[in-house]
Amino acid sequence: MRGCDNPLWPCAMAGAVSCLSGFGDLGVVIHGSSGCYFYPASILPRTVYGTQILEREVIFGSEERVKEVIRELEGRYALIALVTTCVPAVIGEDMQAMLREVNAVIVDAPGFLGSMETGYRIALEALKPRVDPGMEGVNIDGLNLMDPFFDGNLLEAKRLLISAVIPIATTFCAGSVEDVWRAGPLTLNLNPDLASGAGEETGSLLGLHETSGAFRRLERRFPDADVSSVLAEVERAEEKVAYACDKYLKRHDPPTAAIYGNFAYAVAVAQWLSEYLDATIAFIGSRNDPRESRFGVKRCPDLSMVKESLEGEKPDLILGSSYERSLAGEAAFVPITLPVRGQIRLRSRALIGPEGTLSLFEELLNALMNRKIGER
Amino acid sequence: MEGCTLLGALSITTGVTDSITIVHGPSGCAHHNFSLIHATLQEFGSDSLPRIIATDLCEEEIIFGGEGALEEVIREASLLTPSCIYVLSTCIVDTIGDDLQAICRKDWELPVICIPTSGFLGGGFEKGVANALITLARQVDTDESEKSGIAVIGEKNLEFEVEENFHEVSRLLALFGEKVTLRFARKCCVNDIRLLSTVRLNILRESRLSTVGEELMKRFGSPYISSFPIGLEGTLEFLCMVGEMLGMDVREPVRKEQAHQQEMLVGFSDLEGERIRLERSTLDQRFVREVVEAVGLIASESGVRVPIPIPPPVGTTGLKRMLHRWRRAIHAWMR
Repeated sequence: MRGCDNPLWPCAMAGAVSCLSGFGDLGVVIHGSSGCYFYPASILPRTVYGTQILEREVIFGSEERVKEVIRELEGRYALIALVTTCVPAVIGEDMQAMLREVNAVIVDAPGFLGSMETGYRIALEALKPRVDPGMEGVNIDGLNLMDPFFDGNLLEAKRLLISAVIPIATTFCAGSVEDVWRAGPLTLNLNPDLASGAGEETGSLLGLHETSGAFRRLERRFPDADVSSVLAEVERAEEKVAYACDKYLKRHDPPTAAIYGNFAYAVAVAQWLSEYLDATIAFIGSRNDPRESRFGVKRCPDLSMVKESLEGEKPDLILGSSYERSLAGEAAFVPITLPVRGQIRLRSRALIGPEGTLSLFEELLNALMNRKIGER
Repeated sequence: MEGCTLLGALSITTGVTDSITIVHGPSGCAHHNFSLIHATLQEFGSDSLPRIIATDLCEEEIIFGGEGALEEVIREASLLTPSCIYVLSTCIVDTIGDDLQAICRKDWELPVICIPTSGFLGGGFEKGVANALITLARQVDTDESEKSGIAVIGEKNLEFEVEENFHEVSRLLALFGEKVTLRFARKCCVNDIRLLSTVRLNILRESRLSTVGEELMKRFGSPYISSFPIGLEGTLEFLCMVGEMLGMDVREPVRKEQAHQQEMLVGFSDLEGERIRLERSTLDQRFVREVVEAVGLIASESGVRVPIPIPPPVGTTGLKRMLHRWRRAIHAWMR
């Protein structure tokens, strides 16, 4: 099919804005229409700005409007980023010349270039991260403000590092933008789809084995670190998950699961379900471009593909967004990707580290058991 | 902050349940708006998903033109057998100059209707709503048969209280023994829209839609009330207008509503003498002044800040909900 039937994933522009907005001292200006501004502004929990250009600016040039918006922000942020949307990207204005006298970076991320991950990468490249070899500490990598696990993952990563007495260097993308230019030499990843490339990667916290592996590697690089409490916590978490899953399997068949989300999260969750719950992984639909994996993963960026896969596989457990929940029917559902709508979510939830794994299994086992109760 | 023309138009076309809307542009434009509409539906507890197909223009089509892609997607969408297809434009396709009207005018097997939107090139959200309503109304032929029924025009489909506001208008019409026969365009199908030609009265959601009301009056000869009822007096005036336009006696409906308003206000008599803080511009709004006076509240700089709904609350029930929120704020402040 040529058309994209109800596209499910944000565009490159939204990805760039989400990446940049993670930095509290970075002023983000969306250069485009009110519509391009409206979406990120309504879903990101930070203030973003827009040039909200009209026909006049498209015909006669947008320089005055851009400068007007940026002048209002000067002095309020360490840096300003101007993210160009589709129309400014094609009308050929010289943005570099326009912003010569301003402390601003231009992020050319029109929506038509691709998906959220593309825009996130373009935005980070525009900031030109630098590693400071003398900086002590490990970078936290792969945070995306649009991710429903943004707060929870950040808290969990910080908690584990503090517990292991390992200093934290730069957080991509949260905290201060100035840290981007003095990143530490080592990096811990929370979402490999959004790797910054800054620093030597020492592993991921997406999963229990991954967490203990990453902390063992960090221990070798930080002589003052004490990772024993983290390793003990991971072990306890694994016992808890194993016990709960084993108990579930005493009375129930393993679930048949369909999983939708960004590639890294979807594959990680498939791995956990397979390992702890002996689940059949019927389908993995990746919103972004899939990479190599032991599971068969299909790109699934629109709703008709999700419908088709659900009709074909008939899973009894679905992990995805509220789009999938709308199609879940009688199947148990657990949210693992944006958007998560139609429910009140006040606390911070992690997907990484021991708390992330515990939280996911708690939610999905309860969802499966509630479904079983409903069947009786 | 309301979004662009495209979202305004989509908020209407996705209210026509047996149609498909094609967004001619990059998939991001369709996703952003689909996501926002989905969020609203989820807030209502609805799992239904509007059918929006993007032509998914990429860099190559932006450079060489996207008309071929649109034709291909119209062909694909028509295989899904909707009653009609709405085609909406985006900023970028207007910039590159694709001729959507020409493509939609081709000999398709079903109605393919172009609605000019094109994001910022087309105006704001309200313009998109009006463009969509007028374009859809122009597809309806005039009908000389006897007039009957009432239509509600241009409900704010993305408004959190959209159903509650509709129920309030329905409650007021029931005082005359009348009911709404068409919601244009909310939960309606293409065939329902034909009723526009025969209704006796159109009730616009808000006065910003007066161009739509004028168009309907010119085309079908049906009069319109320019807004849902706002405020205590405004609700009674609304009843008077309904009675006048339908040629019915208003005395009994007005008396019943006055009694209902008094009963509602008595429920908030404990708030008498409480101090609330209101901006001067807020006090300029008649419904706020009326409620402050009727309940016996005191507007004061040292008072509690209370929420003022935007857009204003609809009817007596809307005011009642606003007063509950005010009481919650006053109680929270007293703690």
